[in-house]
Amino acid sequence: MPVIETRGLTKTYESGPETVHALVDVDFAVEAGEFVSIVGPSGSGKTTLLNMLGLLDEPTEGRLSIAGRDATALDERERTQTRKRFVGFVFQQFFLIPTLTARENVEIPRLLDRDGETPERAADLLRKFGLGNRLDHRPSELSGGQKQRVAIARSLVNEPRLVLADEPTGNLDRETSSDILAEFRRICDEGVAVIAVTHDELVEEYVDRTVEIVDGELTR
Amino acid sequence: MNPIYERVPWLLIARRNVARTPVRSALAALGIVIGVLAIASLGVFGATLQFSVTQNLGNIGNDLTVSPATSQGVQSLTDRDVRDVERAAASDVVVPVKQDRGVVSYGRERSIVPVYGIERPGELLAASDGRIPTPLRSGALVGSGLADRLDVHAGNSVTVDGKTYRVKAVLAQQSGITALNPGGGVVLPPAAVAGSGYDQIVVRAADARAANASAMAIRDRLNARQERVTVFEYASLSEQIGSVFDVVNTFLVGIGAISLVVAGVSILNVMLMSAVERRQEIGVLRAVGYQKRDVLVIMLAEAVLLGIAGGVAGVLLSVAAGLVINQVVLGDPLFTFAPRNLGYFAAAFAFAFVTSLASGLYPAWKAANRNPVEALRS
Repeated sequence: MPVIETRGLTKTYESGPETVHALVDVDFAVEAGEFVSIVGPSGSGKTTLLNMLGLLDEPTEGRLSIAGRDATALDERERTQTRKRFVGFVFQQFFLIPTLTARENVEIPRLLDRDGETPERAADLLRKFGLGNRLDHRPSELSGGQKQRVAIARSLVNEPRLVLADEPTGNLDRETSSDILAEFRRICDEGVAVIAVTHDELVEEYVDRTVEIVDGELTR
Repeated sequence: MNPIYERVPWLLIARRNVARTPVRSALAALGIVIGVLAIASLGVFGATLQFSVTQNLGNIGNDLTVSPATSQGVQSLTDRDVRDVERAAASDVVVPVKQDRGVVSYGRERSIVPVYGIERPGELLAASDGRIPTPLRSGALVGSGLADRLDVHAGNSVTVDGKTYRVKAVLAQQSGITALNPGGGVVLPPAAVAGSGYDQIVVRAADARAANASAMAIRDRLNARQERVTVFEYASLSEQIGSVFDVVNTFLVGIGAISLVVAGVSILNVMLMSAVERRQEIGVLRAVGYQKRDVLVIMLAEAVLLGIAGGVAGVLLSVAAGLVINQVVLGDPLFTFAPRNLGYFAAAFAFAFVTSLASGLYPAWKAANRNPVEALRS
């Protein structure tokens, strides 16, 4: 059973007098443990698709299911809940909270659950990504690669089935990018599906497959 | 992690955010400090003023005067009336007073002054020079003002309406308002004052409540069949003065409240800026599964933290200001902790809390309801 699956996913919106077809009839599925990249020119609808997969945006038409459950008709609150349970996010600009330490940043998704084990789990994740000696550092005290590792640890703290990464290597040099992609590979080997939207050709060396999107349609 | 943050984790985020822009947060909190200081210290100042004035009024509330019901044609009070009043107000001091005007002369000075006929003036009045005999059978007591003017001392002789009296005592000056104040006149034995009956009866009770009870008893006894007397309770005077002060105080506190509202606007401004600056962070929170309500609570907590910090500092400063005000005006700094003042401190703090909460609502609502996709767009 795929972790995430879409059928005829379509997104259109009005931009002034024009109707923009951001996504057209997208059928797409990712299995557990798969590392998939989405490539395509700017404005082709990559990020729109990613937002849709992450339940941040609603499709105009079509169906979407996560972990075998239909997620198309959920209300705002349920979508947020589903996101929390099944999905982790990694962003190009890391988006760490500058006032919180590395460990607290990793705890963020579960901070409100008052789960006594979260701090330990956050520390474990950071150690796993080689940041055991950076637990109490603020983001400003970390390098780009370290920040992205903290962000990846944050995306995993809620034990998601799916990690969505938007240009995860966009702000990193080539060597650091390789390290980060290797981390994603490791995550997949533990059974988590990773979908990365990217321009970076380096990514192709690490993924199981690549889908291309042009003008809102999947072409490969 | 700190145990407080473990229990209320959103407070961690909120507190760190407040500390992120310390100057801006401090300025917003300063607004609240000033507002709280304005409300609380104006309130305390008003209470101090009121207390100081009512203190000057002395025990006026304990006094009553019983006078003839002139509207019913009663011109004077009889001995029977006096006995009735004495029975009605058995535990009080009852002093019947005759009143007239007369010409007083001493040496070359001549002056028309009020003349009082009182049998036992010592029960209401005190002497600053000489001694007040009880009962007063002969001689005169001279009011302090008149004594100053005529330069009369105890032991001198003055002439009142052609008769010569030895001055037994010069009366002490009375501060504030009293039911009987013969400062500008002379007190003679009742028989020396023209007219039959008495013009008023002064009743002095132990306290204002006893005075009120006596007033009712006197009305019951004397006015039961027909209205013979009018009873004036001085307590009503001090009540009126008190209610004037209440209005003034409310007005002062209201002015203070305006400054707190201004402080609220500054919190609103800071929170709006903060919500705009942290657009992406808030987007991330929403993406990783924070409900709108969670974001709302975090933002509100920030605003309220500013309010509480400002409120606490404001109350501490107000207490300090109160101590100074009360030391200067009353000579008693501890009056700052009178229950009424504690009420002002509590009200000012509560107002600071509510103001910051209300100011945080709109920015928090705005942040919580922003579309996460928009928020995350760089």
